[in-house]
Amino acid sequence: MNFLVPAFLAGLAALAVPLVLHLRHRDRDKPQPFPSLMFLEQITIRTEQRQRVSDWPLLLLRLLLLTMLVLAFARPLFRSGAAAGADARSRAVVLLIDRSLSMGYEGTWKRTLDSARAVIGRLNGNDRVAVVAFDDLAETRQRLTTDKAAATGALTGLSPRARGTRLAPALRVARQLLLDAPFAAAEIVVISDLQRAGAVGVAGVELPAGVTVRGIPVGPGTWTNSTVHAIDAKRVQQDDRLLLAVKARIQHFGDSAPNERTARLILNGREAGVQVVALNAIGETVVTFEPVPAPEGTVAVQVALTPDALAADDTLVAVVPRDDDLRVALLGGGGEPLFFERALGIAGAPSIRIERQNEPRSTSVEAAVRVYWDIPPERSLQTFLEGGGGAVVVVGRRLAERRGAISPLLPVSLAGTADRLADRGGTLRDVRTEHPLFAPFREVPDALSAVRLFRYARLDVSQGADVLARFDDGLPAVVERRVGNGVLLILTLPLDNRAGDFPLQPAFLPFVRQLVMHASGRDAAPLWRATSERWALPGTLTSPVVEAPDGALLRPTADSLGAAVPLNDAGLYRAYAGQVGGETEAVVAANVPRSESVLTPMDTTELLLGVRADGSATGDSVSSATSGVQSDEVLERRQSSWRLFLAIALLALVVETWVATRGRRGVARRVATSSRNP
Amino acid sequence: MPVAPAAFLDPALLAKISDLALLARTVVDGFMHGQHRSMRKGSSLDFAEHRSYQPGDDLRRIDWRVYGRTDRFYIKEYDADTNASALFAVDTSGSMNYGSGAVTKFAYARMLTASLAWLSQSQGDRVGLATFTQELVDVIPPSVRHLQRMLHTLAATKSGGPSQLITSIEKIGLLSQRAGIIVLVTDCYEKPEALGRAVDALRMHGHDCIVFHVVDPAERELPGDDDTTFEDAETGTLLPLKPRALRDQYRSLVSAHHVALQARFTAAGADYVRLDTSEPLDRALHAYLDARLTRSRVR
Repeated sequence: MNFLVPAFLAGLAALAVPLVLHLRHRDRDKPQPFPSLMFLEQITIRTEQRQRVSDWPLLLLRLLLLTMLVLAFARPLFRSGAAAGADARSRAVVLLIDRSLSMGYEGTWKRTLDSARAVIGRLNGNDRVAVVAFDDLAETRQRLTTDKAAATGALTGLSPRARGTRLAPALRVARQLLLDAPFAAAEIVVISDLQRAGAVGVAGVELPAGVTVRGIPVGPGTWTNSTVHAIDAKRVQQDDRLLLAVKARIQHFGDSAPNERTARLILNGREAGVQVVALNAIGETVVTFEPVPAPEGTVAVQVALTPDALAADDTLVAVVPRDDDLRVALLGGGGEPLFFERALGIAGAPSIRIERQNEPRSTSVEAAVRVYWDIPPERSLQTFLEGGGGAVVVVGRRLAERRGAISPLLPVSLAGTADRLADRGGTLRDVRTEHPLFAPFREVPDALSAVRLFRYARLDVSQGADVLARFDDGLPAVVERRVGNGVLLILTLPLDNRAGDFPLQPAFLPFVRQLVMHASGRDAAPLWRATSERWALPGTLTSPVVEAPDGALLRPTADSLGAAVPLNDAGLYRAYAGQVGGETEAVVAANVPRSESVLTPMDTTELLLGVRADGSATGDSVSSATSGVQSDEVLERRQSSWRLFLAIALLALVVETWVATRGRRGVARRVATSSRNP
Repeated sequence: MPVAPAAFLDPALLAKISDLALLARTVVDGFMHGQHRSMRKGSSLDFAEHRSYQPGDDLRRIDWRVYGRTDRFYIKEYDADTNASALFAVDTSGSMNYGSGAVTKFAYARMLTASLAWLSQSQGDRVGLATFTQELVDVIPPSVRHLQRMLHTLAATKSGGPSQLITSIEKIGLLSQRAGIIVLVTDCYEKPEALGRAVDALRMHGHDCIVFHVVDPAERELPGDDDTTFEDAETGTLLPLKPRALRDQYRSLVSAHHVALQARFTAAGADYVRLDTSEPLDRALHAYLDARLTRSRVR
């Protein structure tokens, strides 16, 4: 046992005090009255009898109390084994092995495994090691063990995966593993290319005092990488043919100048075009493929570059859904729906075609969605809705002048107009972003709060309707009602620039597109998803089974999204009803997060400084990472043995107080020296 | 003739009698009830008559001349004629306030003194009282009319304070020019030689001395086993000891002291009676009567 403040040990001299007091102790009993001490004084009483220690239990308690107090103030610490060098001491080491996509860069993975084996090989017999593999999740491959062979065996089968990088979850797992070794010299070794993007959240990880973090950078010293960053695909009508026009956006990163690359376009597994591209050193390079005849139905699009040092991000897959063309019938409104029409006409997938109907109640049998702009819907709308059609009723100035119910089909009644000019306009509040209508705003919920609305209708909503959004004064802004297989949406949210500035806000375009997509029953599906996401299968799919890109079959598990499967690998996932084979019911593309293509590493010190240790300056962890020896201060802070000693002292005090006030205890009086016989 | 019931003489029971006069009469009557009838007649030397010997009579009163003539046992009876002066000197210092049993030494001494005075009065003696600690506290000259006053004073006396035994005895001896009986009731915490010299002085003045040494059973045995601090009842001196380790030595010293007192008082011509506060008073009364009788014979 060593002491952080050995000077306090001088307090042990105070142990002499109770010892002397007990030796000089006169019996504390209540004095025994006696007629005369005449005979007793004649008896020679040996000195050592009088100086014998009395009340040993009380003396020992007091000595224990003082000793524990002194030791507690001296701040004891315990070191196991020799203190010369980190390798000579028993340690607990957690290896964090990065297996994200970027680790597939040429030569990186070999260096990773070699480094891991080297760390394991340098451990002593009593040292324990754990192996944790991480990408955007952490997996414990081997818990703390002295079995080096088992730790090495845990490396078997590891390989880079098509996932992103997040170091924070791995550090948390390492912290949990180290709880099994509270008194060992603990170390976390991160074997990674230390991508800067992977450091997100590291600053929020707290490690126990005394735990050192060491990084082994295995990334390339110099690197260069190109990746297919994005795909734009749309169907275009050329004469009487429907073509598919595809553009690929290629990004180049790295230290060296890019060279020419070949980009191949593959549609539904068949090569559809090749382009030789001279990549730009800065920014992205757009590769435009010649339009090709659009295959029927859903089209799997793949753009592949000739492989470079990091081949996994040289291919991007996407799924272009069927029925590219969405027809929308716009009734009424005059010139007010200008912004609405223009927004829907902006190219996108699927493309939206708007048919203006000037005459009320005239319908288009081909339209998937009917938009009633400030006019009441006709009675036949119910049949349309029950058949799966969608309808949007935009309540504007004209409808707002009415009072009461507009139509038996609408679950609302009008109650006048709300004028918000006086308070500089209202905003949207209580937006249910979990609803598919507001899916584009789940990551940016503040986008809708920037909208200013000056005048809108007051609605009273009856039962059977769902309020999806409200104004800040509590009035309903968007109301939904399901009618049969169709969706009816009622908006008091102004979509023109007279009653508000919504058309001028960035949120307008994605909102109106999502509005008609949702009303049509076809929510806008992204062309691809990231490998860290889960794919929620369509609810109409019975007994779904999903074929993964590697051919593995997945059965969906129920979660908050319904039946969903994890997208662990990059590629195409195909869903079937009942069994694989036959018609594909649904397909989705998954790609690695684009951040994995940027191999810019962070500095090791930056990594260590990002990790906080409990109650200690991070400088301790940094310096300890180089020497491997825990300082006395760090060790003492981690052990905090002084608390144990103080607790013992307090217990001894309680017991001493109890003992001292029980039994034969009293107050000694002064001894008078007068005698009967002068 | 049955012996006087012990209940009348048991100090523990007597201590419950608060009236000292009643106590004294109870003791004496109880004592006399158990004694030879001849005791009622007194012990004067003036011959009164003969009576037949009855079992239990004092054999010393048998008239052997009559036996020689008649072959029958006859007891001499005498007329009561003491006219003696009995001064009861009672130690009321703090050491007398000690008691390990039912009564303290002072309570015992008080019962003893009251009983002896009552007995003396019944024998026709003049009785007086002197209580002392360092000095004489109360002095009641001997008189035939002072019994009640003496008992009253005794009842009101409380023990305490330091003592000067030798000085007090000397002053007692100077109280009366007429020789008489001085009954000293004390716990004799003084050197035997010094006490002997003091009694010698009393004897030189013509007094007869009877020393009643009152002892508590605990004083002989030294109470306590483990660490005990003893406190002197008079001086307050504290002495922490381990009684178990010193008991044998203490007993030896006490025994030697008692032996020395016996020898010295005998040498001084005084009667020495050691009384344990746990024992009945009859032995004390016997001793007193015998001493009184002896004095009468000598005169």
